[in-house]
Amino acid sequence: MTAASVVSPAADATARARWRALALTDPIARLVRNAAHAGIDDELFDLRQLALAAVDLVVGSMGFAREATLEEVADDLTALAARMRPDRAHQARDVAQVVLKGLLNEAHEHRRFTYWFADLSGDRVEREPYSFRLLSLREAEYGPVLTASDQAITLFLHGLDVDLEDADRALAHVLQRQLDDRRFDAAVRTAAQAERTSVGIAATLSELLDATRRDVGSHDWLVDVPERLAIARRHVEERIAEDDRFLEHVQSGLDAETSGDVRAASGRIVDLLGRVRQVHLDLERRLVGAREVFLAAQVRQRLTKRRRLRMLALGEDVLRPALDLPREQAVEVTTAFADRSLGVGVPRLVRFDDLLDQLWAPPRQRETVEPVAEEAGLEEAAEEDVQRYPAAVVEGAREVLSAARVTEEGAALSELLEASGDDEVAELVLLTALWAFAPDPAADEEDPDGSVELAGGLEALDEGVELDHRLARGRDLRIRPLRLGVEEEPSIADELEAVGE
Amino acid sequence: MSDAVAADLTEVRAAAELLAFGLQRRARPVEGSDYRALLDRYRTELRFRDVVDTMAEGLGLEALGTPRSGIVLAPEPGGPFATRLTDFRAMDQSERLVFGLVLIGIAAYAYPQDVDFDDPETKLVDLVKVDEFLRAAVDTLKAQEGGEGTPEERARVAAEIYSDMPQLITTQTGRRGRGCTLKAIEDALGWLVDQGAAREATSLGPDVYHLTDRFRLLVADSAGGAALDALRELRAAS
Repeated sequence: MTAASVVSPAADATARARWRALALTDPIARLVRNAAHAGIDDELFDLRQLALAAVDLVVGSMGFAREATLEEVADDLTALAARMRPDRAHQARDVAQVVLKGLLNEAHEHRRFTYWFADLSGDRVEREPYSFRLLSLREAEYGPVLTASDQAITLFLHGLDVDLEDADRALAHVLQRQLDDRRFDAAVRTAAQAERTSVGIAATLSELLDATRRDVGSHDWLVDVPERLAIARRHVEERIAEDDRFLEHVQSGLDAETSGDVRAASGRIVDLLGRVRQVHLDLERRLVGAREVFLAAQVRQRLTKRRRLRMLALGEDVLRPALDLPREQAVEVTTAFADRSLGVGVPRLVRFDDLLDQLWAPPRQRETVEPVAEEAGLEEAAEEDVQRYPAAVVEGAREVLSAARVTEEGAALSELLEASGDDEVAELVLLTALWAFAPDPAADEEDPDGSVELAGGLEALDEGVELDHRLARGRDLRIRPLRLGVEEEPSIADELEAVGE
Repeated sequence: MSDAVAADLTEVRAAAELLAFGLQRRARPVEGSDYRALLDRYRTELRFRDVVDTMAEGLGLEALGTPRSGIVLAPEPGGPFATRLTDFRAMDQSERLVFGLVLIGIAAYAYPQDVDFDDPETKLVDLVKVDEFLRAAVDTLKAQEGGEGTPEERARVAAEIYSDMPQLITTQTGRRGRGCTLKAIEDALGWLVDQGAAREATSLGPDVYHLTDRFRLLVADSAGGAALDALRELRAAS
């Protein structure tokens, strides 16, 4: 028995594909909705058009030697948004960022957009996930660049299907036409694009050869690669001849032309074509050696005598099966591998002496720049640090200690302790006195109890009098305002005077 | 009569010294050093080799080989020298899965064929290339028709968790942020460097690493087999 159709067999046949197309546009609708929360009015800025422009900008540079960075696309979108509303140009940057964040799915840590399709074709309903990205960040040698997913390209730029070899040929025609029409500026741009396309082909070939050197089984050298090499070889042969012809064409124009502009443009084209020619010659050299790379890799990887037969091809035997397992089972396999691949760990036993030294050691100085601290949440900020004295106690101690700051003689610790109404205040006064007597520069930064701050500008001297208080016993201290090097170290001026006498 | 063979105490001490060198990640058997002399003895004297191997076994270790960089020791799981992935950082199940996949990915990228485990040539790995390799493996899997289970079950396979993570998230300071696959690979390679299983190849680029003989032998003769055993057990249970 088959399940009843949802609407009609004809409609159901294409339902899934149409549903997917619908889902693909949802992130854009979502970013428009969310923009309202960021204070951006969809009626002022056409966010949908900006999203389309972002995909266009990214696709425009994909596959070329230099792809668009996040910053560049953001700048272009900002300019576009500013054009939409010149009177609100100050908002343009925010608008561009909202659009890019939406396309990158920043709200969900750049993960894929996932939608669930309810498949009603069977006896029971099956939920089928459909996950996709629109834009994503990719690491390139010059920093993070943006790339568009296949879905983004298909939906937003329907029909865009660039084959590098064909693109190169098309460009050659365009260049020829532009030169014939004497549109030299356009010709310079086209020649620059031709160079990028050729570099793209060279890079593809180079990747293929590197992959073969690493693993001979990574590409199909029986049918696919020889075909691709044959096409590339034909292409290079044609291009080298074309390059020569172009160079001759432009150079002859250069000799005959008297206009300064045309001569300058032609000069630039000659330089560019020279570089393109070099790229093609390099490509030709690589193509000639390609078969050798394969044969050498074949000999090394397939025909060499094994020293020890392990029968282990990690990609096929471990990686693929692990990827295909449910998560709970896969983690058993990956953990078994990971734990053993990390090698030995030598347990370190804690020695009491070392531990004590480490605990007393001054805190390490951070060499790198401190990361920007996040603002504490309201709840956290409201909570009092249990390690610190309450603010009222610190204030009380400050008041008591102020007696020692009034006169140069200061006050005796015993007097200050008597003056402290509260035990906690007395304790803090005592700590401050000790701090003033023997400051510890190592712990200066920590200041767990606030005594460092309170002891600022105070010094403590042993008067040789006994102290007998409920909280402290020993020698009484005289707390007085700090006198900097007055008695102990004569200043340079004093010394000079002494010499003069 | 007992089969036991009495070992010379000086030999036992020398064997212990060799194992101690093997446990120190920075010890190198340079020409003329004690380490080198002991290593040569291990390679050439069968009796000494037996003493070292026996002692290692008692300590929960296994001597996997003696490449030029020194003796490579593998810990018995659960032994005093065993390392666990979670020793490096507290992580939940999905993080453990991602880091495990990354380590298998690094190894499968560097040693795709059986013969690569015999090849003492240092393998270079590039962070971005490892990520591309893993993503290509995930894509190949998806392209294969007829995966088992319902679509909902397919969404729970390990490949999806990797595929779902973005390649790159940048922090405010422009570094790679947690939650992207490049950061996971960077961390995993960093741990391999700490373990003496990889070295940074800064002269070749900021994200290029050499994998050492230690990693090669650990993967070939310990980790690879353990993963295969785990797979076999899972298949037998299902």
